[in-house]
Amino acid sequence: MKKFRRFLVPILLIAAGAHAQDADSLLKTLDSVDKKEKIAATFKSTHVVLSHSTETEKKHDLDLRIRHHFGDIGGKFGSAHTLYGLDVASDLFIGLDYGVSDRFTVGVGRSKQEEMFNFSGKYKLLQQDLAKTMPINLTLFAQMGWIAREPFSENEFSKYSDRFSWIFQSIISRKISSRLSLQVMPGLTLRKNVSDTRDPEALVSVGFAGRMKLTKRFSFVADYTLVNGLSRPTDLSQAYYNPLGVGLEIETGGHIFSLNFMNSEYILENNFITNTKKSWTKGGVRFGFTISRNFTLFKSKNKDPDKRSDIY
Amino acid sequence: MTWINNIKRLLLAGVFLAIQLNATAQNFLGKNIKLALYSSTPLEDIRAVSNKCSGVIIKERREIAFQVPITSFEFDRKLMQEHFNENYMESERYPQAKFKGVIDPGPDLGKDGVYQVTATGILTVHGVDKKRTIPGKISISNGEIQVSAAFKVACVDHKIKIPKLMFTKIAEQINIKVEGKFNQLK
Repeated sequence: MKKFRRFLVPILLIAAGAHAQDADSLLKTLDSVDKKEKIAATFKSTHVVLSHSTETEKKHDLDLRIRHHFGDIGGKFGSAHTLYGLDVASDLFIGLDYGVSDRFTVGVGRSKQEEMFNFSGKYKLLQQDLAKTMPINLTLFAQMGWIAREPFSENEFSKYSDRFSWIFQSIISRKISSRLSLQVMPGLTLRKNVSDTRDPEALVSVGFAGRMKLTKRFSFVADYTLVNGLSRPTDLSQAYYNPLGVGLEIETGGHIFSLNFMNSEYILENNFITNTKKSWTKGGVRFGFTISRNFTLFKSKNKDPDKRSDIY
Repeated sequence: MTWINNIKRLLLAGVFLAIQLNATAQNFLGKNIKLALYSSTPLEDIRAVSNKCSGVIIKERREIAFQVPITSFEFDRKLMQEHFNENYMESERYPQAKFKGVIDPGPDLGKDGVYQVTATGILTVHGVDKKRTIPGKISISNGEIQVSAAFKVACVDHKIKIPKLMFTKIAEQINIKVEGKFNQLK
């Protein structure tokens, strides 16, 4: 009987094993969470504070973006006389971004400073995924700025091409956790319109940005662009500063409001990377806001009635 | 008397093997089950569909289970899809919704036919378990089981918060529709 028991036990175990193949373990074999799945929403918006993020518009989505930078809060031009800068509009911007595809966005806009128009293209090359085979997002960004204002002096734009400036950036980001995303942006700026002869026409910059989600809909965002001291001398007759912006981003489903504080007077990359003349330490910090509203341009062509959403 | 023992062993082994085979023969698997959700408010109707729901029926024990990856839901507008995953369902933390229950006593699932049934069990959505009795229809024919069900899920039951700040409105009760085929596991 000893032998028999020795034989019986494994059989019972196998039989129990067959029974233990219950709903849970069967479901596990069907586990269909796709590990190749891309990680979405590294940033809420296509912009952080001043800089672009790795996000692009969704296909056929149009984003209307209105931005405003007020004047100095403190210092000579601020304080109670200008209601802490609120009397002053140092820059205004209206722009449209359109998602040609989920990966490719084109943009056009106009900024008050220099009466600058911008035309941009943004392509999402790599996207971080769940399986960790791709650890980062990589978006390529190119923007042309066109100064439309009258020249200040006779020979300011001796050649018409002097009105144009170009920005090229590789934007690399990573969603570290569902709360924290970090980004780095090496870039190159090319322009002709320089006020100091020692100021190079080609500027190398490295930007850093981050988002920290405070709640599901409120995020703390910040970005900093290192440009002075890289390829640019720090002892120019005009003092330039590195732009630093911090903000609170509020998402309400289709709208994004952003309340920002930054030292840059300017909104467009072509201006703020090259020309930020205010410092956080000398009262040059200012308040600004962004309103972004998302529209879906084309009505759904979904034939599936279970999938079609209607907005009345 | 060893030969008797040998026969005993063989018989026993045979019986257990038969039970085992029988047990696997009673399992049904469903892949690509369609799961649709529908939120209706006077402002907008939002719909989404996933075809990646999978399910199991263990006939002998009348067990039924479903699971669906939250990110597999497709919306008309990609931004809605992003908000659904990012803000409401927190799909990175809770990648799946699940129902695991038992088909309540009633029809004999061994016979072909169409039956109105209820299943009682635990519905897990957004990481929150909730005991539910869900009505549905089961059609059995030729070793194939067709299941359909429609029910509502209250956002508040699963701690899915709808903030007051929203411009686009989401219903407090989400309609769910399940439809799929289960094949016998061989």
